[in-house]
Amino acid sequence: MEAALKAIAEPRRRAILTLVRDDELSAGEIASHFEVTRPAVSQHLNVLKEAGLVSERRNGTRRLYRARPEGLAELKDFLTDFWDVRLDALKRQAEKEERKKHERRD
Amino acid sequence: MNAATDTTVYERTLAIDATPETVWEFFVDPQKATRWMGLKAELDPQTGGTYYCEVIPGHVARGEFVELDRPNRLVFTWGWEGSEDVPPGSSTIEVDLSGDGEGTSLRFVHNLSTAEAAASHKTGWDHYLPRLEIAAAGGDAGADPWVTQAPSM
Repeated sequence: MEAALKAIAEPRRRAILTLVRDDELSAGEIASHFEVTRPAVSQHLNVLKEAGLVSERRNGTRRLYRARPEGLAELKDFLTDFWDVRLDALKRQAEKEERKKHERRD
Repeated sequence: MNAATDTTVYERTLAIDATPETVWEFFVDPQKATRWMGLKAELDPQTGGTYYCEVIPGHVARGEFVELDRPNRLVFTWGWEGSEDVPPGSSTIEVDLSGDGEGTSLRFVHNLSTAEAAASHKTGWDHYLPRLEIAAAGGDAGADPWVTQAPSM
C-alpha cells in the first residue's frame, strides 16, 4: 500500500498510469508522450510495477504495460478508509462533546 | 476497469451517542470540525456559503453549502483546489441526521457522480487520483493522522 502511494506521488507516474489505463503500451510508446528519456520512463514503470499498479507482458521482443485494476482497487479501498477514519473520529469527538454537555448540566 | 473501481459513491451509516444538535455542530463550527478533519476550516453555514477545509498542509477541500436543515440534513459540494478531475464543487456530500433514542443515526453519502458526468469518458478511478495524491503527500509528510490511522496502512 505504501509503495502504491509513493508510486503515485510522482506526477509523471500518474500520467503514465492514465496512459496505460485502457491501452497496453510499450515503454517506447509511453516515452513518446513525454519529454523524458526512455530510461527515465523505464524507471517509472519499474516503480509502478513493484507497487502492483501496472502489469508487464512480453510480446516477442516487446514488453507491454497496462494498469492493473486490482492495484487500483486497493487504492480505492484506501480512500474508503479516508472517510471511515474521519467518520470514526467524528463519532468519538461528538460523543465526547455530548458527555461534556451532560457534565455541565449535572 | 472493474466494478469496484468504477464506484463513485461512498456511503456509510453511523450510530453516534450524541444528539443530532451536537453532531450538527461538528459540520458547521470550524473549531469542532477540525477536531475530526483537517488543520484549518472556514465555514459559512448558509445556502451558498463557503465550505473550506485545509485537510493536510497545502491540500484544500473547498465547496459550498447547498442545503441546511438544522439538525436534520446538510448538503454541501466538495472538491480539491487545483484538481482537474475533482475541482471544487464537482462532487456532493449529503449528511442526514435522525434522532435515535438519545443518540443519532447519521447517514453520510459522498457522491462523485456529478464529477463523472462532467468527464463521462473517464472511468471512476480518475476521481480518486487527486485524492490519492493528497494521501501520498500526507504519507511523505509523515504526520497526517489520516495516513497514520488508516487501518490498511
